[in-house]
Amino acid sequence: MPDTIQAPALPVGHYGYDQVDRAFLADRVEQFRDQVARRIAGTLSEDEFKPLRLMNGLYLQLHAYMLRIAIPYGVLDSRQMRELAHIARTYDRDYGHFTTRQNLQFNWIRLEDTPDILARLADVDMHAIQTSGNCIRNVTCDQFAGAAQDELVDPRVHAEILRQWSTLHPEFTFLPRKFKIAISGSPNDRVAARFHDIGLVAKPAPDGGTMFDVFVGGGMGRTPIVGVHLRDDLPEEDLLAYLEAMVRVYNEYGRRDNIYKARIKILVQALGTEGYRAKVDAEFAAMNRARYRLPPETVAAIRARFGTPDLHAPDDAAEQLARARRADPAFDRWVRTNTHPHRAPGHISAVISLKPAGGIPGDATSAQMDIIADLADRHAFGEIRVTHMQNLVLGHVRQDELHALWQALRAADLASANIGLIGDIIACPGLDYCSLANARSIPIAQKLSARFASPELQETIGPIEIKISGCINACGHHHAGHIGILGVDKKGEEFFQLTLGGSPGSDASVGQILGPALPEDATVDAIARLVDAYLVHRTGGERFLDTYRRLGAALFKDAVYATA
Amino acid sequence: MSDVRNNRREAGGSSVITANRLLDGRIVWQVAEGDWSTIIADARIIPNADIEAAIAQAAARQQADGLVGIYGVQVETDATPPVPVTVRERIRAFGPSVHPDFTPVAELEAHA
Repeated sequence: MPDTIQAPALPVGHYGYDQVDRAFLADRVEQFRDQVARRIAGTLSEDEFKPLRLMNGLYLQLHAYMLRIAIPYGVLDSRQMRELAHIARTYDRDYGHFTTRQNLQFNWIRLEDTPDILARLADVDMHAIQTSGNCIRNVTCDQFAGAAQDELVDPRVHAEILRQWSTLHPEFTFLPRKFKIAISGSPNDRVAARFHDIGLVAKPAPDGGTMFDVFVGGGMGRTPIVGVHLRDDLPEEDLLAYLEAMVRVYNEYGRRDNIYKARIKILVQALGTEGYRAKVDAEFAAMNRARYRLPPETVAAIRARFGTPDLHAPDDAAEQLARARRADPAFDRWVRTNTHPHRAPGHISAVISLKPAGGIPGDATSAQMDIIADLADRHAFGEIRVTHMQNLVLGHVRQDELHALWQALRAADLASANIGLIGDIIACPGLDYCSLANARSIPIAQKLSARFASPELQETIGPIEIKISGCINACGHHHAGHIGILGVDKKGEEFFQLTLGGSPGSDASVGQILGPALPEDATVDAIARLVDAYLVHRTGGERFLDTYRRLGAALFKDAVYATA
Repeated sequence: MSDVRNNRREAGGSSVITANRLLDGRIVWQVAEGDWSTIIADARIIPNADIEAAIAQAAARQQADGLVGIYGVQVETDATPPVPVTVRERIRAFGPSVHPDFTPVAELEAHA
């Protein structure tokens, strides 16, 4: 290659692929192209083909094939977002759905188009690996990583290291069940670390390096469990060795006889924390530590593949933002709800709500994706983050540019001021799309967000997290909802069970079932009565969760079932 | 398919046969042997006493017909056109409730 040709700048916020990565992906696409051809020709049966397509993120759902595309640690760049918009327009129905694992799903994909779609994704350094199957899935991360004022360590470099370690890991491709890892670098848990198979929290080590808190055995599904704290002092150089030992113990002792008891949470409960820790320590002690050591030079080499944002803002950026807020009450409200403090002076993180009143949580049209890509280029170094709450974040926005950003978002119907409020509902695709679901999640979310559409009302109600799952697999995280809603099937009809008191954060808790499931047409009214009861009984600045924890379930039960 | 929800049939009831198309995954309903439609109104209605044999016959030629996941769906006895008895199968038949523009009939008309 001539010296005069410049390599493209490294992307801000995520690892920049090199030629080895790209060659691997190109080979992988051609491998799948051949597998699809053999399936269509009939030389591969559906039973033979299914695990192969799932390893490439292709599910057969209720109405069509669904392609789940990996967004490692939830970070993508504007070029990648534009490609997703193109795929939505060309191969799907002009929209995509951002998921609770910070991925993106297309719901109307054709099998025969899939190799071409994967080739287009590979052109922008994307793929659909680790989005299905009993492997280590896409590692999720704090949506404010590298930007948040309260962050102690930027966890994305370690998230990337975990991605490279886990991708096609030969020992961990056929685990007893899927395996989910989340990583944060803030003491304020925004990744639900305690609800993951492994949750990691990076923090500074006494020697100036990095070490990790390690949680294990958390999860949702039909057996919701808050993970146990395995250790608080895992050194960076042992990160891969220790995780290797943790997953090896699971791989060896995890149950394979019963799919409902196959996750690591069941193993940890069966062995007990000390029993599991002893087995991991024994495995760790027996390992070739030199082989698995993560030296600082490797961390630095991975870090060097990340672009770095140039965080310089005018001295009066904060004053400009303050003036704009005083002049525009609607903007002021959006800043209150949809921004997060940034570590750098004159900067702020902006959350783009994908939850318009009456809308489908997590959906974005191709036109919106293109607009967001343009705004990311203009205001955020081309970097976009996907949140596990199914929203998007522009991490590094200059405060003096925030008003212009908000105006552009508002013009694209992307400026709902509801982050962390009752309109910011997680909902899985539910029975409208998912072949596993028992009930529809999205219509309940739509009715609730329409009912509580008023931004003033939402602010009055204050922080509250409603999470809806269409079946017990809990993709909508209902167990961790302040108000959780679980769709159940009763003789072919939809009913909804309410749980109260769940929390995904540092104060993690599993919601408790309130009472009998409600018919679909009674559910939204029941939740409205429940919210009314909270407003009557809260004191001071209590969140809904605080009031529930103080008073218990009885008054909410009365409110829900009094007229149901 | 082994999903228990697909095997709820009452004696004396009637069913239709459904599958997904291999190439695009779309839902189809059996009109006659080797003939499938995206519109459930076109489907032939089969007494539950005969449905297992009809499913087995359809499954035997699923690769030739370009289909996957063949199974039977019980329908309301008196409804015309046929309406599945479960909400799950009604959503399969009539499209996602959150996108009224994506019904199979609308899709057919859009491509007419």
